[in-house]
Amino acid sequence: MENDTVNDQTTPIEHVGSTTLEKPEKKAPLGVLFWVSVGWVGLNIFLAIVANFLPLIDPLALNPNISNAGPSLHHFFGTDEFGRDILSRVIFGSRISIAVSFGALFIGFSIGSPLAMLASLRRGRFDKALTTFMYSLLAFPGIIATISILSFWIPRNLFKVTLVIGLFTIPLVYRVVRTASLAVASKEFVIAAQIQGAKDGRILFKEILPNITPIMVSFVLIGVAGVVALEGALAFLGLSINPPTPSWGNMINESRTILSTDPWLALFPSIVLVLFIVSLNFIGDRLRNYFDVAEVKI
Amino acid sequence: MARYILQRLVTLIAILFVVSIGSFYLIHLLPGDPVFLILGFNYSPVTKAILDAQLGLNQPIYLQYFTWIGHVLHGNLGTSFISHQSVGSTIMRALPIDGELIIISQILAFGAAIPLAMKAARNPDSVLDRILSAGSFVLLSVPGFIVIIFLVLFVSIKLGVPNTGPATYVPFLQNPLVNLTSLMLPSLTIAIGAFVLYFRVLRSDLTGVLQEEFITMARSKGISTRRIMWRHAFRPASVALLGTAGVNIGGALAAGFIVQFLLAIPGLGFTLVTAINANDYLLVQGIVLVISAAVVIVNFIFDFIIFLVDPRIARD
Amino acid sequence: MTDHLLTVEHLRTTFKTAGGDLPAVNDITFTLDNNETLGIVGESGSGKTVLARTIMGLQGTRNATITGSVVINGAQVVGATEDEKRKIWASDVSMIFQDPMTSLNPVIRVGKQVDETLRVLQGLSKEDAMKRGIELLGLVGIPSPEERYRAFPGELSGGMRQRVVIAAALACSPKLLLADEPTTGLDVTIQAQILNLLDELKEKMGMSVILITHDLGVVATRTSRIIVMYAGRIVEMGSTDVVFKHHRMPYTRALLESAPKVSNPSHTRLTTIPGRPPNLLALDSGCAFAPRCAYATDKCRNERPELQASEYEGHMFACWNPITTDRGAN
Repeated sequence: MENDTVNDQTTPIEHVGSTTLEKPEKKAPLGVLFWVSVGWVGLNIFLAIVANFLPLIDPLALNPNISNAGPSLHHFFGTDEFGRDILSRVIFGSRISIAVSFGALFIGFSIGSPLAMLASLRRGRFDKALTTFMYSLLAFPGIIATISILSFWIPRNLFKVTLVIGLFTIPLVYRVVRTASLAVASKEFVIAAQIQGAKDGRILFKEILPNITPIMVSFVLIGVAGVVALEGALAFLGLSINPPTPSWGNMINESRTILSTDPWLALFPSIVLVLFIVSLNFIGDRLRNYFDVAEVKI
Repeated sequence: MARYILQRLVTLIAILFVVSIGSFYLIHLLPGDPVFLILGFNYSPVTKAILDAQLGLNQPIYLQYFTWIGHVLHGNLGTSFISHQSVGSTIMRALPIDGELIIISQILAFGAAIPLAMKAARNPDSVLDRILSAGSFVLLSVPGFIVIIFLVLFVSIKLGVPNTGPATYVPFLQNPLVNLTSLMLPSLTIAIGAFVLYFRVLRSDLTGVLQEEFITMARSKGISTRRIMWRHAFRPASVALLGTAGVNIGGALAAGFIVQFLLAIPGLGFTLVTAINANDYLLVQGIVLVISAAVVIVNFIFDFIIFLVDPRIARD
Repeated sequence: MTDHLLTVEHLRTTFKTAGGDLPAVNDITFTLDNNETLGIVGESGSGKTVLARTIMGLQGTRNATITGSVVINGAQVVGATEDEKRKIWASDVSMIFQDPMTSLNPVIRVGKQVDETLRVLQGLSKEDAMKRGIELLGLVGIPSPEERYRAFPGELSGGMRQRVVIAAALACSPKLLLADEPTTGLDVTIQAQILNLLDELKEKMGMSVILITHDLGVVATRTSRIIVMYAGRIVEMGSTDVVFKHHRMPYTRALLESAPKVSNPSHTRLTTIPGRPPNLLALDSGCAFAPRCAYATDKCRNERPELQASEYEGHMFACWNPITTDRGAN
């Protein structure tokens, strides 16, 4: 009969003897699935970069006679309403998702992290003012804000979409990096360095940065996944790049009206999109376990 | 304690102020002269004059803001030139639907997440726990709109659930049964995304709390496991859950929008997207303001509830 | 034969680790009667906390195996189900822990944590429980108990918190109290207060107390018997007086010597016990203390000494080469 204990305090606080009771597995192994995910993400990125050089059917080429066709030898993923090849549209579409997500995170990081690290080090009024500002930006629901801005700031292009999403990534990055930096900055070795007269920049680079890198890497991955999903949702609502330029989101949107006749248009971009996001999240999660970092809450 | 509430109220007003400025400025993001875009085909010297008066477009920008916010605070969000109805009334008609969707979906999500997370935390690594944890990880990665599409694809088309649409929607007070059944599918879809998130957060926090010494102390007092779980473990763990729920309101709302868009349910989301496509910018602006303000206010209510549960927050 | 309040027989708690089996509690046997105070002394790592938890029945069995017998007031703890253990928890035996900050639930008011057992186990009404709770708070020396009843743990100082913990543990008047390093986390001045409080309450409520500590000063005047633990085993036990004055085991002497004394001239070098606590995963045959013992012989290193009686009643020690000269009064 299962013992009805609420908690199983197996390891007392002290050490027993001189052995510390460690968990049997030291560092969580990365595992096969991890490398599969890395491979998948890598593949997507690679294909996105070299898309132009691949022997793909023109993603914009209309072919009304074979519209809504299922997968075939010629069209691996079938064709959409206008007879365009879905496979090539999915590959070309990945560029949008990847460009926007990496671009937005880049903006978020390049502005958010230095500010956050500096604030965590300096504290005082600078920190208070900046943090209040950032946290109030966070209170503004990001999704709603992006929808609003993108519906007015027309005509839309890749740059605008990336910029807007990137803008709202800044406070998220700021919050995570600041929390992580604060944890490090309050540690004695940093205070020791400060007492020794080291300049802020030096401390940031040598003491804080190496210690928060695992958290940042993990967050980047989860952030990219989130932005890919966000861009997909925006495209789905018609608020990102518009057709005929393909993107995963707007392809899924186009598939809405023809779900019963052409499920392929909904299926393939969705699967590719979901796998991409799941892989990114999985990699981020495994790395987090590997470096034994606390869970990052976005 | 009172000081804490006052502090938060001041912050709330400050944020609402920022929100209003943001919403106000949206009009000016439009390329060229916003007047043309707003009026569209209705452009004429008469309508231009009306619009100018409504928004005070002749004035310098900061005065425009005050004109606009003055109207807003009196309940006047303008009149749409496309639908010829007051923005305010359009919003008021659509708002209850969003409210219902949020309420029902959150009830479903919490109702499922809390007991399941409690069970999973009590029996970590059990079959139930493993299935739920792995499943929720995957589901969490799947974007809401995809879940919705496939759910709709499966349910509506295969099972033939009655169509929803502006024509078929019935307000709750008119006919509760029809109202609830028509909103069940969309609420369920939103609930899934929320459930997955809440389950993960709660389970993780509960597991952490259960390792704490005060739980061992509670055990040593001879208290039943049920009481320990609910009275001693749940309270500290619920803080993170409430925090997540608060933040998630924005996401739940957005998920609601997508569902409405998909199923043509005439809530604010549907109205918003339709308005964007119809270039009804005044309506869009009004909706953005109302929704943003609502989310901010709901967040603050959540913060207050968290404070009631864990007063340590105020002592920082 | 009279029934003891607590009978521990051949108790063993063995952890399963990556490096093998780790015997944290290794064949412990002793008894305790009503109104006795027992001190269990050892370095950190001697296994005393695991012993306390095992006796109490709080030690989880997921990674550990527990064998032997622990009988409290007639009830067997080893192998009992949680339900069975709950029958004796709080009413027969209670435990207080080392860190009062983590022993109290930070989001529940202090008073509620004290009278909880009264409401849940004894079925008192809310008002009655609250009255008794306030009484208890007063009993443990908390000023203005009616006001403090509604406080949260974070609002109290360390010493106050530990008093609350004691109040909670004593609410149902248990016969046995296990105190696991109750003063280690507190300021020195508060330590004495808490220990005196325990003495008072023990008298008032007719309890037996097991005081677990690494600090000999704590047990010197407050216990009637002492058990000295090393590497999971008992190496010496007997009445406090005898152990302090007529101990035989070199480890006990080393412990006594290493305590700094105010009466020593200034700048006296602190005596330390050379070496480190043993790695319980790789115990050699022979006495566990041998590597660090100044008196160790070959026999000590090869054969593990069993407990043997000395000429003093109730005094036992485990040593092949015991000290024979008595130590001066400390």
